[in-house]
Amino acid sequence: MSRQYRVRDALLPDLDATLTSIVATSTAVVLLAALVQIRYGAYQMPFETVWRALFDRAVWTNPEILATIVLGDGLAGRLGVAADLSALSDATAVVWTMRLPRVAVGVFVGANLAVAGAVFQAITRNELASPYILGVSSGAGFAVVLVIVSSLGTYFLPLAAAVGGTAAFLLVYAVAWRGGTTPVRLVLAGVVVGTIFNSLQTGVFYFIDSNGAMRTAVSWLAGSLTGVGWGEFRLVTVPTLLVVPAALVAARQLDVLLLGERRASALGMRVETMRFALSALAILATAAAVAVAGLVGFVGLVVPHAVRTMVGSDYRRLLVGCLFVGPALVVVADVVARLGLGGAQIPVGVVTGLVGGPYFLLLLRRTESFNEF
Amino acid sequence: MSRLPLLDTDDDTEFVPEDPVHDAALFATDLELAYGDDVVVDCEDLVVPDGEVTALVGPNGSGKSTVLKGLSAELAPEAGTVLLHGRRVQERSAKELALELGLLDQENDAPGGLTVEDLVTHGRYPHRGFLDALNADDHAAIDRAIDLAGVEALRDTPLSELSGGQKQLAFVAMTLAQDTDVLLLDEPTTYLDLHHQLRVMEVVRTLNEERGVTVCVVLHDLQQAARFADYLVALDDGGVYDWGPPEDVVTEELLADVFDVDAAVSFDPGDDEPRIVPRRALE
Repeated sequence: MSRQYRVRDALLPDLDATLTSIVATSTAVVLLAALVQIRYGAYQMPFETVWRALFDRAVWTNPEILATIVLGDGLAGRLGVAADLSALSDATAVVWTMRLPRVAVGVFVGANLAVAGAVFQAITRNELASPYILGVSSGAGFAVVLVIVSSLGTYFLPLAAAVGGTAAFLLVYAVAWRGGTTPVRLVLAGVVVGTIFNSLQTGVFYFIDSNGAMRTAVSWLAGSLTGVGWGEFRLVTVPTLLVVPAALVAARQLDVLLLGERRASALGMRVETMRFALSALAILATAAAVAVAGLVGFVGLVVPHAVRTMVGSDYRRLLVGCLFVGPALVVVADVVARLGLGGAQIPVGVVTGLVGGPYFLLLLRRTESFNEF
Repeated sequence: MSRLPLLDTDDDTEFVPEDPVHDAALFATDLELAYGDDVVVDCEDLVVPDGEVTALVGPNGSGKSTVLKGLSAELAPEAGTVLLHGRRVQERSAKELALELGLLDQENDAPGGLTVEDLVTHGRYPHRGFLDALNADDHAAIDRAIDLAGVEALRDTPLSELSGGQKQLAFVAMTLAQDTDVLLLDEPTTYLDLHHQLRVMEVVRTLNEERGVTVCVVLHDLQQAARFADYLVALDDGGVYDWGPPEDVVTEELLADVFDVDAAVSFDPGDDEPRIVPRRALE
């Protein structure tokens, strides 16, 4: 058996009708939402112009221009491929430098949050778990606000978010631990720790001097994709490229963890080590999303749960489903957040909250025991 | 009960049995197991002979399941040693241990969407590397396990649609797919109806007879234990009360001393097992 075959076999699930249609539908939804997102806004343009801007030869035939757009002036300049973007038409400039990156960042944020939620749900064997509910998002959020307030560089954001998320998760586990934990205890501890970190965030706000920074911080806390560009895209790409393959490779470990701690260890898994490594992976995914989009709630809860009801609990299939449905949810929610109220933009987290909150309530009403997958 | 040669357990790092017990698959000496400060098991010698079916019997709270946890290295002993094929269980990595020793307990808890085949496939976990796909050996072991456990007809059925007994057979198949020489079972029949109790025990018996697998099973039903096991270990209050073939161990005295039951035990020449007729509970 060739190495290549083995890797492919380890990463990709059997595509059956259900999973294929989930992937196809989600992709179509993302593309459609992207077109809407790109066409409408302060600078309106007909679809024909959108089309021409997207496939503008000035961009596609000049690698240097493409590199400058995606990598940014600074990085492209250092690599010696910088080009002058002022030659581009207005439509192309708007599409390529403002609206497209927003969609791209939304895709990655959705994928990361959904994967993080799916992994947390397996680690805690609890379908109510999500980065938000386990306090990881709040911890990451607090760290990010600190970085914003102390005006350290934006490249610290993912690192700070990861550190804050880890601290919060460890705290939740410590609070919930009494010779083992139960799903309900974890959720309760998560809510408490989350509340504490949220208070700390609010407290830090009083040290913000400028109004602009204040507004950034507030919209960021609600989870916003307003004003994200290729810089944020680069920021979220690096961890994503690590998280996605790692999660797919780890799918079998997640399946075995779901059989319960005793059985997993009887099958030869070092449960604590594995759980620790997988938590780190999920925290990294959360941190990547939080660092660029702030606290976008409920994606990590709703997406894995909805996908699970369709494809079952096999983690390879579940994760692949999440990788497509997560982006669909976030990109569509961002269209609503940006264009739904006419003039005013609202944070995308408000929209996902309005969708996810009721879903969560429904779940609570229907679930009898908290750890039935 | 015959005394076994004592082992020198002073040196923790390099354990060299003075006189290794060759015919024991599992051998525990001076075993002391505790939950926190609460010592539950304290027994001198406990032997699970190679290639035989050994049943641990005893009343509730006698430490049967705890002994099993000690044998499977799930619980680290406060004192004493557990040898698996002459080597301490703690010396092995989790994976090495899972290649030699399989474990099945009474609780079945798994995601309901999983099919029987998915579950059995997880039994191959210790045989596979991090990135390994299933190879021919794995497929063969999975087929064999499903066949042996008699769940072929349920292969593609989700676990959520199975009865308790069918589910237990699916878990038996998973443990069989692990393909170990030694199998520990913790009350595998407790929550099952009579039909499935017998089926589980027959699978275990077949496994032992055809593949020479050493079985150590905790059973609370003494009659069932006497029927299926080659050897019985009767536990009383965390210690070994008696050890030997069922016809030697199952006596009226045992039932009175250990189980607090006044019973008549008869052994007809035509039977291969003692017959127990309980009369009343003793104070």
